[in-house]
Amino acid sequence: MGQYLPILMLLVLAVVFAALSFFASRLLAPRRPTAAKSAPYECGIVPSREPPERFPVRFYLIAMIFIVFDIEIIFLYPYAVIHRELGGFGLVEMAVFVVAVFAAFVYLIANGALDWGPVKHLRRVDPRVSTSRTAATTVRRVGLEGREPETGEAA
Amino acid sequence: MTLGLLAQAGDGVAPIDTPGVAWSALSPILVLIGGAIVLLVVGALAPRRSRIGWHAMLTVAVAGGTIAAVVPLWDRVHDDGPYSAVASAVGVDGFSLFVTVVIAVAVAIAALLTDGYLRREGLEGPEPYVLMLLSAAGAVMMASANDLIVMFLGLEIMSIAVYVLAGLHLRRRRSGEAAVKYFVLGSFSSAFFLYGVALVYGATGSTNLVRIARFLAANTLADQGLLIAGFALLLVGFGFKVAAVPFHSWTPDVYQGSPSPIVAFMASGVKAGGFAGLLRVFVATFGTYRLDWQPVVYGIAVLSLVVGAVLAVVQTDVKRMLAYSSINHAGFILIGVQAATDEGVTAALFYLAAYTFMVAGAFGVVTVVGRRGDGHHHLDDYQGLARRQPLLALVFAIFLLAQAGVPLTSGFLAKFYVVEAAIEARSFWLALVAMVSAVVSAFLYLRIVLVMYAGAGDGADTDPAAGRPRLAVPAAAAIALVVAVAATIGIGLVPDPLTRTARDATPELVAASD
Repeated sequence: MGQYLPILMLLVLAVVFAALSFFASRLLAPRRPTAAKSAPYECGIVPSREPPERFPVRFYLIAMIFIVFDIEIIFLYPYAVIHRELGGFGLVEMAVFVVAVFAAFVYLIANGALDWGPVKHLRRVDPRVSTSRTAATTVRRVGLEGREPETGEAA
Repeated sequence: MTLGLLAQAGDGVAPIDTPGVAWSALSPILVLIGGAIVLLVVGALAPRRSRIGWHAMLTVAVAGGTIAAVVPLWDRVHDDGPYSAVASAVGVDGFSLFVTVVIAVAVAIAALLTDGYLRREGLEGPEPYVLMLLSAAGAVMMASANDLIVMFLGLEIMSIAVYVLAGLHLRRRRSGEAAVKYFVLGSFSSAFFLYGVALVYGATGSTNLVRIARFLAANTLADQGLLIAGFALLLVGFGFKVAAVPFHSWTPDVYQGSPSPIVAFMASGVKAGGFAGLLRVFVATFGTYRLDWQPVVYGIAVLSLVVGAVLAVVQTDVKRMLAYSSINHAGFILIGVQAATDEGVTAALFYLAAYTFMVAGAFGVVTVVGRRGDGHHHLDDYQGLARRQPLLALVFAIFLLAQAGVPLTSGFLAKFYVVEAAIEARSFWLALVAMVSAVVSAFLYLRIVLVMYAGAGDGADTDPAAGRPRLAVPAAAAIALVVAVAATIGIGLVPDPLTRTARDATPELVAASD
């Protein structure tokens, strides 16, 4: 187990360093708080209003697109640097990878990840399904399935 | 232009030594992943709803293509012996090919069941099929991994897709709950697995199964603590995926909450992937250290058998019952693992193949009986099913009796072979526990059958069946059920082809010649 001693030492050192800097800043730093300093996201500008708590779910899709391209760049950039050395093998590998990434992008676009503005066409709901559910609100949809009385049976 | 670049590559720069990719050896995985990508793109561009369920058809075709890709590989392995590819990271042997076919069959059956389910719940779209294919690709990767890192990749590809599948039913709260539970616990178990890989690497100096096996055969470790700890952590990772007992607590909740056709895949495909990895790592690689891990697997098998059987009996929700019974079945397959012999591996493979049809079929019936909302899974919902729909009840009864191990079904032979392997490995007590647990769990299966046929499970006088609408069995689900019944009875009557194939399918670790 001797060869694992450095790992243990590193662990101890990390904890000691974190604890030390935490307490040292408490002890050494002068404390002159102002309203601007103790505000969240302190960056010199006093916030004029509370940050909004809800934001469109669409941002998640934007984040997904970002991740798709981020991952693509992570792989493409090193490849671009040494594509000569990698030769045909690298080209084929990158082609496979880019096709997979592109498929994900096509899927996102097709599902309306970049459709901004008001919703143009509401998804039509099967009229047989249930009269209590409408396309305009999702409130009634959540958690009802599986607990419904035996009324809305589809044939 | 690219060709020009390629031509220039030769002069001036030293080319990097790249590993050769044996595309043919990877063809089953490539077919699955390629099919998934095609389905994703086409499914995104085409309308989500259509009269014909071409999503499911394409998925079944991809599963068929996977099996077709296995055939030439099987012939090659049969003629030239097993080999490995991609810098010995992927092994092609009878074992991996056998499990690949089992997983492909699980995908095909689950896809057929999913079609009707999605239509009933108004959730049509290509996503479930894509995720199922990707998950299957991960499971196949686990079955053919010759490297612990590749196996971990397979484990994650398989698991992450299934976490999402568990939460497929957007409007059912239980479905989301199941997905979160499965995800959190599954991530923990993956972390355990990865830590086990690290410790085994520390002890043996390699993550490659071939090199680990060679190292362990040639050297005696002065300090085994690290290796044994690695075994333990790997076992936790696998034990979670196959739902063996100390790591089973997620199973009933996840099986109950997840969409029923997805559970059919979870209980067959994912379990096959987990067991394939377990057999490959423990029996094939750590075989020289079997005296160290056999007692632990013995204990896990006993616990799975007993807990699975006993807790299944006290459930009143059919999906939970089947979840506990799947834990019991995991115990049976672990008997084959514990034997750590060729007979044991053969028995485990036979069990996996037979169980795939039984459990996928059983959850297929559960899907149909669950009705719109996927919420009618109480034992009462099955009351008098035989009177309302005799054929459906008969099919369910066949699956349940097969799981109980009634002769002339595949379940009997599956149980027979693992117990035989245990006896040959001189684990008499384990065999005894297995048989007792089979009797206990037979009570549970017969209880469901009785409720279906007698109609009065708990002494109810009124006929609750009256006024209930007829259950609609979608055509695709009917095909899946017929196939599963035919296989369950067919394997029970004529087991020879499957037995012989399973006997040819022992895992062998071979280093790449290149």
